[in-house]
Amino acid sequence: MKLQGVQQTKWWGVVVFIAAILIFPLVVTQSFFITQATFAGIYAIIAIGLGLLMGYAGQISLGQAAFYGVGAYTTSILTATWGWSPWVSLPIALFVPALLAFFMGYTMSRLSGYYLAMATLALGIIVHGLLVEGKGITMGASGFYGIPQLSLFGMTINQGVPYYFLVWFFVLLVLILSLNIVHSRVGRALRSIHDSEIASSSMGVNTGRYKMQVFILSAAFAGLAGWLFAHMSYSISPSAFTFDASILFLAMVVLGGSGSVWGALIGALLIRMIGITVHTLGERFTFITSDSEHVIYGLILILVVIFMPKGLFPTVVDLLKSAAIKRGEKKSSVSVAPIKPSVSE
Amino acid sequence: MQDFLQFTLTGITIGSIYAIVALGFVTIYSVTKVINLAQGEFVMLGGLTMFSLVSVGVPYWLSFIATILFVTLIGWLMEFLLIRRAKGADAISLIILTIGTSIFIRGISSMVWGKDQHTVAPFTENTPVTIGGASITPQSIWVVLIMLLVVGLMYMFIDKTMLGKAFQASSVNPMAARLMGISPKRMSSFSFVLSAALGAIAGLAIAPIIFPAYDMGAMLGIKGFSAAILGGLGSAPGAVIGGLLIGLFESMGAGYVSSGMKEVITFSVFLLILIIRPNGILGEKTIGKGGL
Repeated sequence: MKLQGVQQTKWWGVVVFIAAILIFPLVVTQSFFITQATFAGIYAIIAIGLGLLMGYAGQISLGQAAFYGVGAYTTSILTATWGWSPWVSLPIALFVPALLAFFMGYTMSRLSGYYLAMATLALGIIVHGLLVEGKGITMGASGFYGIPQLSLFGMTINQGVPYYFLVWFFVLLVLILSLNIVHSRVGRALRSIHDSEIASSSMGVNTGRYKMQVFILSAAFAGLAGWLFAHMSYSISPSAFTFDASILFLAMVVLGGSGSVWGALIGALLIRMIGITVHTLGERFTFITSDSEHVIYGLILILVVIFMPKGLFPTVVDLLKSAAIKRGEKKSSVSVAPIKPSVSE
Repeated sequence: MQDFLQFTLTGITIGSIYAIVALGFVTIYSVTKVINLAQGEFVMLGGLTMFSLVSVGVPYWLSFIATILFVTLIGWLMEFLLIRRAKGADAISLIILTIGTSIFIRGISSMVWGKDQHTVAPFTENTPVTIGGASITPQSIWVVLIMLLVVGLMYMFIDKTMLGKAFQASSVNPMAARLMGISPKRMSSFSFVLSAALGAIAGLAIAPIIFPAYDMGAMLGIKGFSAAILGGLGSAPGAVIGGLLIGLFESMGAGYVSSGMKEVITFSVFLLILIIRPNGILGEKTIGKGGL
């Protein structure tokens, strides 16, 4: 019965989500906000992948920007330097980061916990360093120019509303895929790993393999985001793929709620909105600078961990559920055992 | 040969700083099991506070003491206001909490000290000394001496004093320590105070060499964390060895390949060592198993 309930909310949520995507450009027409919403979608793809890794596989990645950067540079080199079609480079932009994650996960399979966190951090720094120093291939610190635009059925997908729809179409795909994974056998296995790795491995769950698969999937998602980012911006530079970017992705997942696909999506939107708000205020008040943005991100991380350890979305869902149970108790005197949702969708 | 000697001396100087930062990580980790990624910010605060005091004309010895006291206060506040309130949170959340704190401290610092690099005059006259064809500045010698002094004092304190023994006890077995009347809360506070003091000392010692700026903490924190991991998280001698090794990789990488590649080389060697020894050079066998 519980499972049924979960399935219902899931599809109800997806329908609302699709409606929101379609309505947004009708309500908000300024190109600035359309661009911001497009960026938010790109970040949401990374955040959903990172959320799966943190919330379900219980692993932290401090180098997610590396996979994002590798995806972006793969497609840039293939299309701008070698003249490939962006659509042909798409699977490769997913595959290369995934391969990197596989290699990383394979050699690091003996590591976990803080050691794995540090290894991903090191990977992020190595990739950033190589992007800056590999001048012959990556054009160095000044970055790549002339990345071709995407076109579909002979029509160019311009920045603005067309690109907005393209990005959010991919967000939808990633979201549905992730929700399905979470509700499948793999998702249950992952949740058991998250709660107790020892218990689940003694129940015959191949913990290492599942963790590796999620790590690879999260890298492929980041690669997809990189592909979208490269063909949207026409030019990329290593400065977009730093440790700070990895931390920003982490902040999205923590704010929205790790262990929740919807939470990661909402976290990405909120962090982007906070960024825009601070930026807009900064234009009006001189004392608000880009530093204030960092102070606010820092405060968000601190406050969320202390007051909402599960993150915004699961906390709100829990509150709604317990309110519903209380109402149910008042209506009928039959006592309902409160369901303690361990991990909400 | 002359180059090699020069790179080794440079590596040992910068490695000494990483060693002190790594000791800070180990001090907090061994008692609280928290990885404090804001450790680098203590170093940054140490360097910049030193700059401010010296530039308004406070004598050096007074600036040392005031800087250490100020940063120690920040460390204590961090434990008292934040870490204590998040007790019971899982390891991922605790890491994120310290990352949040470090971003917050960095943001405030950039408002207070601006985005420029600052200069602090060396402690003593700074004519380089030549040893076997390689030159070393007196300030670098100061840095190494301070590191040795700090390590020596830490050893004396942990091994020879009652407070140090209580500290050690609560890191080995918190439950037994509590039964013996040692307050884990006080020890947790104390570990943050101690590691903030270590950070401040590292910061004021290198201030004349590296031109402190608001954003230097992140990289120092990362290198210190790598050093602690490389040595084997939880091992104090390991932290010192790890710090010196990271310093040497970096200096050799910058010298023999290119300064732009030094980070790539340092972290590649770091990953290689971890593949060979997943628990670090002097690491405990149990650490790193079971996941976060």
